[in-house]
Amino acid sequence: MDLQVFSQLLLPGLTTGCVYALVALGFVLTANVSGVVNFAQGEYVMLGGVVAAALAGEGVPLALAAAAATAVGAALAAAQERLTLAPVRQAPHFIRITITLGVAVVLRGLALILFGKDPLFLPGFSGDGVFTLLGAVLPLQSLWVWLATAVLLAATFWLLHFTDTGRAIRACAINLPAARLMGVDAGRLTLIVFALAGGTGALAGVVITPIVLANWDAGLAYGIKGFIGAILGGFRSPLVAVLGGLGIGVVESLAAGYVSSGYKDAIVYGVLIAYLLVRGGVFLAGRAALARGAE
Amino acid sequence: MTAPATLKRRLALAAFALPVLVYPLAFSGGYPVGVGIVAGAMAASAVGFVLLIGYAHQLAFGQAGFLMVGGYTSAILCVRWHADPFVAMVIGALIAMAIAYVIGRPIMKLRGFVLAMASMAMQFVFIVLATESDYAGGALGTQGVPKFAVLGIPVASDTAFYYVTWAVAFACIAVGLAIDRSRIGRALKAIAASETAAAAAGIDILKYKVQMFVVSAGMASVAGSLGAHYLRAMDPNVYGFAYSLNLLTAVIIGGLTSIWGGALGAAAITGLRELLRSLSLPLWEAVIMGTLTVVVLIAFPRGLAGAVGALFDRLASGARKARAATAAPDPAALAPLSGLPPAGSVMLDVAGARRAFGNLRAVNDVSFTVETGSIVALIGPNGAGKTTLFNLIGGSQPLDGGSVTLAGERIEALLPNEIAQRAVARTFQGLELFDTMTVLENVMCGRHRLAAAGLAAVALRLPRVAAEDEEARRAARAALAFVGLAGAEDMTPGALAFGHQRLVEVARALALEPKLLLMDEPASGLNDTETERLAELILRIAALGVTVLLVEHDMRMVMGIADRIVVMHHGEKIADGPADDVRAHPEVIAAYLGQEKP
Repeated sequence: MDLQVFSQLLLPGLTTGCVYALVALGFVLTANVSGVVNFAQGEYVMLGGVVAAALAGEGVPLALAAAAATAVGAALAAAQERLTLAPVRQAPHFIRITITLGVAVVLRGLALILFGKDPLFLPGFSGDGVFTLLGAVLPLQSLWVWLATAVLLAATFWLLHFTDTGRAIRACAINLPAARLMGVDAGRLTLIVFALAGGTGALAGVVITPIVLANWDAGLAYGIKGFIGAILGGFRSPLVAVLGGLGIGVVESLAAGYVSSGYKDAIVYGVLIAYLLVRGGVFLAGRAALARGAE
Repeated sequence: MTAPATLKRRLALAAFALPVLVYPLAFSGGYPVGVGIVAGAMAASAVGFVLLIGYAHQLAFGQAGFLMVGGYTSAILCVRWHADPFVAMVIGALIAMAIAYVIGRPIMKLRGFVLAMASMAMQFVFIVLATESDYAGGALGTQGVPKFAVLGIPVASDTAFYYVTWAVAFACIAVGLAIDRSRIGRALKAIAASETAAAAAGIDILKYKVQMFVVSAGMASVAGSLGAHYLRAMDPNVYGFAYSLNLLTAVIIGGLTSIWGGALGAAAITGLRELLRSLSLPLWEAVIMGTLTVVVLIAFPRGLAGAVGALFDRLASGARKARAATAAPDPAALAPLSGLPPAGSVMLDVAGARRAFGNLRAVNDVSFTVETGSIVALIGPNGAGKTTLFNLIGGSQPLDGGSVTLAGERIEALLPNEIAQRAVARTFQGLELFDTMTVLENVMCGRHRLAAAGLAAVALRLPRVAAEDEEARRAARAALAFVGLAGAEDMTPGALAFGHQRLVEVARALALEPKLLLMDEPASGLNDTETERLAELILRIAALGVTVLLVEHDMRMVMGIADRIVVMHHGEKIADGPADDVRAHPEVIAAYLGQEKP
């Protein structure tokens, strides 16, 4: 195997994997606190990208555009929670999940109307130059993606482990009903994690846009791939979810390079389905499979 | 079935069929008829989608993937193999159903949202495969699909194809309605209301969820085939993600809890899309569909069909005032069971049962037997491990060690529904009734294991299905009469007093014709008079030949009726014997009076 080709596939894979990792983290945090898997998670990445690119296109300074896009993501996610989930906390689970999908569709639709069909461009934060690492030639923006991801992950894990809010979030992950009985204000926490997940997703969307452009319909793919990372961690472990997200980025990039770029999504999604089949106990029967499935 | 329900069904059929029949006559072919065809195809798939989402509560966000399967199968078979379009459509449906079964069975064991995402991933895989496959025509798709034909008879005009499409849609509706009314429909409603109680009634939860996924895939595939013949082409974008979402919006607007809701929603959504197109607002489609989905789910979760149904019920309710459920119990309503093991043999043998939660040994090496035909009470103070032990026997929790033997057969590795299939019924401490069904239907769910009609028989409305249903209805009425609830058949459980609700549960358990009845704190929440009546009822149940094992919190109720009493404390058995012996047992006294053990 040609090492240079390998790293030329691996490192860009890690870069997109950073976005998937942040989406996966958002999935896990919101699901554990609210009990709902938010299918709009990927849309906030898309929104971050298009909002920042559109603002920058209007001449707004880059830093300001990035901050505004992040704020839009956080605000919209908070609004999503207040307007569409808080009123139906008692509704059956499948209804609440479907509502999040409806929100995802609205967000996509609004992006299409407001920002148009064509991909939007955002200049690299340090110009559009390249650098070489392990034989691979990478856009300078990759460094920004890695840096932003590292900072966001560090901040999130600091929040989870060293603040009361974070401890409450982790308590919800371990046992939601018990956490509520212990006086955890689930309503407030849900709002916080939705805003956090929306904001981090949007920021991820901002930093990746100089590399991949911003597209109104990109949210779904970010969502599904982040979901794969989250499900690898059983929707419990934020750390495994992050590693899973990174891994998906790498697998996707390797599949595109070594197999075919047309098939790369099919391969990633095929891997997801195969994983679920095995996890669901395609080889097991009865109680054993149910016990595994129930986590 | 009561008269208003029949009337409601006929009115629904007329209200829907008439406009469908008349619609093409208003136009002389052309574009509007084409819109009608599109709506009909969507209606067919929407019926299956209602069964999947509204009945089985399973989400599939990539349902259009199955329309692709049908569309491509039809296109390829007809263009490349010159197959008969009808035969191709059937083959497509079979392929889609096979895919649904293979994917659905393992994935539905996982948590609810997993299927939603997996089906979306599946649809994207199909789109990529279709785009990349030269055989399917790549991104341009397969062109030149012939007009539809049924076994050699061509369907030449658009109007004729319109009627064929809607005939298929109505066939799907007929299948859906048959499922709704059958034991499968009751099983699905039971699962939606309480999975625990459904399993305890012998219902195989996974099986019915998978069946609905398979049925919905078949109906979606048929719709996809019809669409391909209408478009005369099939490409990877016809049934994209947008179609999946429109289908979802259609069933939500139409009403998830009604078979008609699917067809109604399909017509509404198709009309709405045409309206947007005529207003030159196609870009707004996603925003409007998404907003409708969210708003309807939050504000009107039962959709259009639910609103119409509620209106009808309000108009019809004057005619049928619910009667009070105060009939005297009829001890002769149920015949004694036959074919039981001989009295005195061992019905239930629990040996060395263990179950721990972390460091807490909830059940620690407990052994006891229950003789056939006896009443055994399992008592102990709060936290003694009684309910956990019960769950181990009923299969709702796995054992860490030990064995449970029912009439000679080991059952500790079986699931709750498999144990119920072996004629073990149970009632719950907190009531687990199916609120969306009538009292009679609740009790009929108990008959689940005694009927055999499968999905195919139900869908084809075979005569034996109706006969079985009639038998289930008769037996359920008898069980209700036995517990003293004759007259409450058509009420919903929620309208009954608490004590009567408990009796519904007992009737449901008896409808199962149990050889062993497990009752978890049946007296909790009852007043003294009700408790006395319950004790008398338990004696009458035992007189039928039913072996009874009951958990009780306090000793009073059981002292009079139990042949033997097993006492648990801190997860261990501390006494076992006739009531008087147990009452005098020093450890039992200590446990109940809260003294330290010597």
